[in-house]
Amino acid sequence: MINPMQLENLTILVTGASSGIGRETAVLLSKLGASLILVGRNEEQLIKTRSLLDGTLHRISAFDLSNYDEIPHWIKEISSVAGPLHGLVHSAGVQFTRPLRIMSSESIEELMRVNVTAAIFLAKAFRQKGVYASEGGSLVYLSSVMGFVGQPGQSAYSASKGALVSLAKSLALELAREKIRVNCIAPAIVSTEMSEKMFEQLSPEQVSHIKAMHPLGLGQPRDVANAIAFLLADTARWITGTTLVVDGGYTAH
Amino acid sequence: MTKQDFLRELENVLELDVNSINEDQILDDLDNWDSLSVMTFIAMVDEKTGVTLSASKLADAKTVTDLIVLLGDKISDL
Repeated sequence: MINPMQLENLTILVTGASSGIGRETAVLLSKLGASLILVGRNEEQLIKTRSLLDGTLHRISAFDLSNYDEIPHWIKEISSVAGPLHGLVHSAGVQFTRPLRIMSSESIEELMRVNVTAAIFLAKAFRQKGVYASEGGSLVYLSSVMGFVGQPGQSAYSASKGALVSLAKSLALELAREKIRVNCIAPAIVSTEMSEKMFEQLSPEQVSHIKAMHPLGLGQPRDVANAIAFLLADTARWITGTTLVVDGGYTAH
Repeated sequence: MTKQDFLRELENVLELDVNSINEDQILDDLDNWDSLSVMTFIAMVDEKTGVTLSASKLADAKTVTDLIVLLGDKISDL
């Protein structure tokens, strides 16, 4: 029996590993054999994630990605201890609803800093000599169906997630020579603490409307983690610059 | 945020003239207290106070005073 998605002897960094999709991704990647570097702001939550992983060669690095200028140096230090990196998943993200009437430049900048600028700096950090493995690597960004379709109050968030779709294309071309592949996953709504919080702010009618937009129902973190593992593993050896939509049929409408 | 600041923010959310709202105002009597305004109001409260209001609690509010009560100590009397 073969497992085409096995990740044995690969070191993969996961941002946003303290909760939700990032945490579930870390768990799945560890079961596929990867050694992980768990990144998030809250060390306590990262320790909890580590306790859920298979295997023992996993590291924790508490870091605030909004300090993007420090990302290259910080990643260099990590790889000097953990060895070369084979993959990176940028699952950390900021989401909030801001209709135009109350849109502020501060809220746009907060959103762009983590969702987009940090994504670019993570790629800059990953491609440093000695950081990525000589056989190449795979970067996976968490975009969203909001990068393709709209929703009132989501303009800034949509813009940030759409930016990742086009970012992956340019980076795919720029990094092909280094055999670094760059792709996005675009999920619809997945049951996590973040989506629970979002639903709380909506009326019951709005919530049932959103649920009805998902013909296969809301997603589970594992649904997205599976797609991420596919893009990291050798199964996606010939895939770069693309976005895999994982949305239970949300954008089929 | 003071009560006065809150009233000004609410007027801004609803695109009403300054000083056109008082605490006794009944929300359902406002033409533009609709789903987009509610969404905008929740986002304004999140941005200004860090409080995440739930839509179900908000649905129970009948007057501007009820909104102020929802925010508890985030709104001072001054």
